[in-house]
Amino acid sequence: MSGVGVARAPASESPESATAAPALEARGIVREYGPVTAVAGIDISLQRGEFLTVFGPNGAGKSTLLGLLSGALRPTRGDVFVNGTRLDFGGVDWRHDVGVLSHQGFLYAQLTVEENLRFYGRLYGLRDLDRRIPERLADVNLGDRSNSFVGQLSHGMRQRLALARALLHDPDVVLLDEPYTGLDPSAAAVLRGVLTGLKDGRRTVVMVTHNLGEGIALATQLAIQVRGHFAWKGSREDVDVADFERLYHRVVEGRA
Amino acid sequence: MSAYLGQIYAIVWKDLLLELRTRERVVAMGAFAVLSAVLFNYSIDRTAVRPQDIGAGLIWMTIVFGGLLGVGRTFHLESEDGAFRGVLMSPVPKDAIFLGKTLSNFVLLYVVSLLIVAVFMLFFGMEIGTSPAVLGLVLALGTLGFVALGTLFAAVSSGTRMGETLLPILLFPVLLPMIVAGAGATERLLAGRPVSEVVGNIRMLAAFVLMAVAAGAVLFRFVVED
Repeated sequence: MSGVGVARAPASESPESATAAPALEARGIVREYGPVTAVAGIDISLQRGEFLTVFGPNGAGKSTLLGLLSGALRPTRGDVFVNGTRLDFGGVDWRHDVGVLSHQGFLYAQLTVEENLRFYGRLYGLRDLDRRIPERLADVNLGDRSNSFVGQLSHGMRQRLALARALLHDPDVVLLDEPYTGLDPSAAAVLRGVLTGLKDGRRTVVMVTHNLGEGIALATQLAIQVRGHFAWKGSREDVDVADFERLYHRVVEGRA
Repeated sequence: MSAYLGQIYAIVWKDLLLELRTRERVVAMGAFAVLSAVLFNYSIDRTAVRPQDIGAGLIWMTIVFGGLLGVGRTFHLESEDGAFRGVLMSPVPKDAIFLGKTLSNFVLLYVVSLLIVAVFMLFFGMEIGTSPAVLGLVLALGTLGFVALGTLFAAVSSGTRMGETLLPILLFPVLLPMIVAGAGATERLLAGRPVSEVVGNIRMLAAFVLMAVAAGAVLFRFVVED
C-alpha cells in the first residue's frame, strides 16, 4: 500500500501559521520537456476564496501549469502546496482537496451519468453518494439525465457532467482548463452559474481560458502567461475591464 | 483498509461493467479460443499423436495467446476522454489501481480459460481427469500470474506507438516458468494422475503469482506516473 507521504511547507510548521497557509501555492515551478521549457518559474499564492484567471496565447504553457498545480505533472523544479501540504507524488491524501476540470472529461462513454459519478465517488471514498450525486447533477442541470449513457450526451452536457465530477468530492481547490471551449451560449450560461457558485469564499479556483469576458467576470486575480511565465499579473480591482483586451494584446506581443 | 478495498472494488466494478456493455475483450478471447481448438483439431494427425499428450500444452498456448488479446486492451477504453488520467488524479494508491485492474482481468480470463478447457475436451475427446477442482486451481493460479504481469506490461506498452507488438515481446519471456509449471500440472491432471504428483507445480505457480502480483503492485506507479 502506498504511504501517505505528505510534507508540510516550511512556512506552516506551527499550528498558527498552518491556518494562514495559502490554499494554493506554487514556488518557482518549472516544467521542462527536453529542451522545451513549458513553465518557466511561476509563483502563485492564493488564499481561500480567491479566483485566479490565467489568460495567454496557445502554447504559453497554461495547461501545463494546471497539470503541475493539480499534481498530474511533476515539476522539473519548484514545489506546489495545497493547504500547506506539499504535493507528494507518493501520497494521495492531498488529492481529496483538489478538483480538476480538464480539456478531457475523464468520463466513460459506456457508463451512465450516475455510474460515472458513482465510480469516482467510490475512488474518493465518499459514503453519501445517494444524496450527493443527485445534488451535483441538479447543480449542473443534468438531474433528468442520470440514466443516460455519457456517449449519448452533447458536448455541453458532457462538460457540465465533467464539472459535476470535479466537484463531487467538494474540493477546496478547483482547477479549470478552458471550461467554455465548444459550449453554446445556453450551456455557457449554465456553466457560468455553476462557476459563480464556486465563489463562496471557501474555495480557491484557478481557471485557464481564452474567453476574456468570462474570465474577468469571475476572477479576483488575473494573470497573462506568455512563453511559460506570468508576463503580467494583477488584481481584478486594479484592471480597467474595458481596456483589458488592449492590455492583453500588448503583453502577448511584448509591448508591455 | 476498508477504503483501500473499496477503491479496488470500484475499479473492478467499473471494468466488469464496461466489459458487460462492450463485450469487446471476452468476445475476442472466446472466439480466439474456439477457432484455435478447431484449427488444432484439423491440424493434428491423431494416428501419429495422441491428443492427451499435447492437449495441455495447446490449452496453455491458447490461454496465453487468447489472454493477450484481452489483457492487451486493458487500457484501451481508459484512454478515451482521458478517463485513466482522472483515475490517476484521484486519491487512489497506484497499487490499488493495479490490483483492481488485475482482478478484473483475472475474472475475464479465468472464465475464458474454463471455456478453453471445455472446448478442447469437446474437440479432442479428452477426459477432465479425477481432480477437476485441482485443475481449476491450477488454471486460476496460472491466469492470475499471467494477468498480473500482463496488466503491468500492458500499462508499459499502452504508452508506446508499438504497444500491441511490444506487449508479447515483454511478456512472453517472463511467463516461461508459469507455462512450464501450468502445462505440466494440467497434463498430469488430465491424464488422471494423483494430485500428489502436481503439488510441486502448484507451489511453483503460487510462488509465481505472489512474485508477479507483488512486483506489479510495486512497479505500477513508476509505469503510470508522469
